[in-house]
Amino acid sequence: MQWQLGCKELSVGFDHQEETVQVLDRITLSITRGEKVLILGPSGSGKSTLLSALSGIIPDHVEAEVEGEIYRQEACGVMFQDPDTQFCMLHVDEEIAFSLENRRVPRGEMDGIIRQVMQMVGLQLEPHTPIDTLSGGMKQRLALACLLALEPDVLFFDEPTAQLDPVSRRDVFRLLREVAGKTGQTMVFVEHVLDGCIEWMDRVILLDRHGQIIADGEPAHIVTHYRQQMEEAGIWLPRLFPYSWQEVVNDPSHPLADVLRRELGERMERDRQASLSSSAASSIHTLSANVSAANAAVIIQTDQLSIGYRKRPVMQQINLSLPAGEWIAITGQNGSGKSTFLKSLLRLEPLLSGRIMLQGKELRKWPDRDLYAQAGFVFQNPELQFVTDTVYDEIAFGGRQRGWPEELLREKTVQLLQEFGLEDYQDQHPFTLSLGQKRRLSVATMLLFDQELLLLDEPTFGQDARTAAELIRRLKQRQQQGTTIIMVTHDMDLVDEHADRLILFRQGEVAYDGTPYRLFTDQKLLQDSAIIAPLHYRLNHQREERGII
Amino acid sequence: MKSNGSWLSTLNPSCKLIAHLLVMFLLMGISDPVITLCLWLLAVVIGITLGGWRLSYLLRRLLPYTLFFVLIFWMLAAFGKGEHVLWQWAWFRITEESMNNGLTIGLRMLGFVTYGLLFTSTTDLTALMMSLIHQLRLSPKWAYGMLAGFRFIPLFQSELQQMKSAHKIRGYKQKNSWKAFARYALPLFTQGIRKSERIAVAMEARGFTGTRDRTYYLTPVMTGKDWIYAASLLLAAGCIAWLLPW
Repeated sequence: MQWQLGCKELSVGFDHQEETVQVLDRITLSITRGEKVLILGPSGSGKSTLLSALSGIIPDHVEAEVEGEIYRQEACGVMFQDPDTQFCMLHVDEEIAFSLENRRVPRGEMDGIIRQVMQMVGLQLEPHTPIDTLSGGMKQRLALACLLALEPDVLFFDEPTAQLDPVSRRDVFRLLREVAGKTGQTMVFVEHVLDGCIEWMDRVILLDRHGQIIADGEPAHIVTHYRQQMEEAGIWLPRLFPYSWQEVVNDPSHPLADVLRRELGERMERDRQASLSSSAASSIHTLSANVSAANAAVIIQTDQLSIGYRKRPVMQQINLSLPAGEWIAITGQNGSGKSTFLKSLLRLEPLLSGRIMLQGKELRKWPDRDLYAQAGFVFQNPELQFVTDTVYDEIAFGGRQRGWPEELLREKTVQLLQEFGLEDYQDQHPFTLSLGQKRRLSVATMLLFDQELLLLDEPTFGQDARTAAELIRRLKQRQQQGTTIIMVTHDMDLVDEHADRLILFRQGEVAYDGTPYRLFTDQKLLQDSAIIAPLHYRLNHQREERGII
Repeated sequence: MKSNGSWLSTLNPSCKLIAHLLVMFLLMGISDPVITLCLWLLAVVIGITLGGWRLSYLLRRLLPYTLFFVLIFWMLAAFGKGEHVLWQWAWFRITEESMNNGLTIGLRMLGFVTYGLLFTSTTDLTALMMSLIHQLRLSPKWAYGMLAGFRFIPLFQSELQQMKSAHKIRGYKQKNSWKAFARYALPLFTQGIRKSERIAVAMEARGFTGTRDRTYYLTPVMTGKDWIYAASLLLAAGCIAWLLPW
């Protein structure tokens, strides 16, 4: 076996406010040529640091206290998670050329290599395309093209799909697998979503919170024997692996198939009850003809609504009526106008035409003060919505603005701090919180007035499984107390598990509006809108097609 | 900054930049409104003939500045000093000298804007940076760094928009615009620093050293037409400045 990468007794620490914070603790490992290795661990376990040390970013480009030995290769490529902060040029061809220029490749050879790597990563574009017109998934393809242009011996990936929606994530993983098969390069991954990548890894290394290796072995072994540690680490566990799709589909008595069947049964039952109660409601409505009672149950109604960027309409003729108290999910491809729609519900985007009724009153006529006491909005990036210097003040802000008496304010604020698990951090600056805490704080600040409506723009995006689950649990609590929740999301498992209703935006219109179950069982609609249904629906469909059931 | 496919956009950016800057310097030294007007007209004529400008584009771009021009003109003209009073009413007192002054300053500003626009509307940013490296010996570290920085501008705009929305929802009223600026600046700045650190690491990880020891995908060169353009522009501007008074 030939060693290509490795470290012996490696410890890394960072200087932080005059003391050294130890991140990695005496790590010893070696990686052979062509191996595909996945490094897992909770946030703060130093998995990114380990990757940086093996790739040479630490200590060459980032300062750190390093002890122990490292063996590494000169020619490496590193792909980062944020598609927007790894490019420095404005066009696709220039960006790939940047890699070549650094390697001092003669100008005459550049065009050929650029064409070749673009083809390898499936970028079928005019080479001189502006980078800012590409989607997140396309940008990651470009990032890979730039790395391949470096002709590296080893490729490193630091959560390459964390900022992508599920469909782009699947595509990027497929591409990486394909490239791995062709080039045979060594690849080292840090990821917290395992579906799509763990199937073709040779080896998994699991770190704990203290930066020590707790497991190192074959993926199937680690996934089955260290399930609990992985759950605690907030890793999105694979739904299928270590089983294969074929196994589960072909074997009717497969244990996983059983679990999935039960899940599907639950969803079916819920859908049946939902349609029962809604038909009951509508029959009451027609019997008593009590119009005002029916109106009270609708929190938002849109009437011939058109929205868009500047003057260009993206969605037209939206006629939706959203009942109070439900969990409503809105989905659609990037640029389909779902975020714009969400913002326009609270007057954060101008309407092109039509109108919105909030609780039976036209949105235009609501004074700012009343409107934002009724409804909260949680943005995608929590940092941009913080307005004060401590966590406590952040929650209390709205009450202060309205001149609430100090005791009432204190009582409400402390209650929210406890509800969202932030009481220990109340004197900290919001920016110093962890990603999950920031997200929880951003939700808590929107609930000081017991808002009846809460809008969220991709609340679980880029988060690990544990912080996402915790946030969802708290939102569920709020919903049970009567809050209406409307969220834009790409996460179909989340929709399937929690949403009462799913609205699909596609090509400028509402393509679907109903229970998630009905959409996930409608094969044609799924295909047309590039949605991947949760596993239990897929299994059911596959079996029906083969006539196994 | 993008090239617009006109003849002017085929010129070497550094050469164009220097030529335009020289004319701007010339504008600064001239205090006669007629000469200033002619120099401004020269830019407009170049823009229309060589710069691919249409009248509608020119109007759309210059109209906001024209408003500004009128304002400055009025301020300088109506409150300026001078001997030869042309018109007087209440505290407004227009003299020949103040009128001249107002026109010159206003036109000078318009001229600056137009020469600037003539450059930015016909120059590709990447080509400019590469030309700065090759013709003006700028270090690649700065040139590539600035290019990376340019990608932030649209990102900044959308982040600022989101912060404004968030503040609106929270009921924050900006009474003092300086305070509001400080409030928005800190988070934008923190995000900006974090992003630029990430970009810097990404660039270095791809082998960027910042030295001249590299090859280039784009290598702008100086050709005959660059010299001809620069020389004719300066000659024309010089003629207007020195010959017109006679």
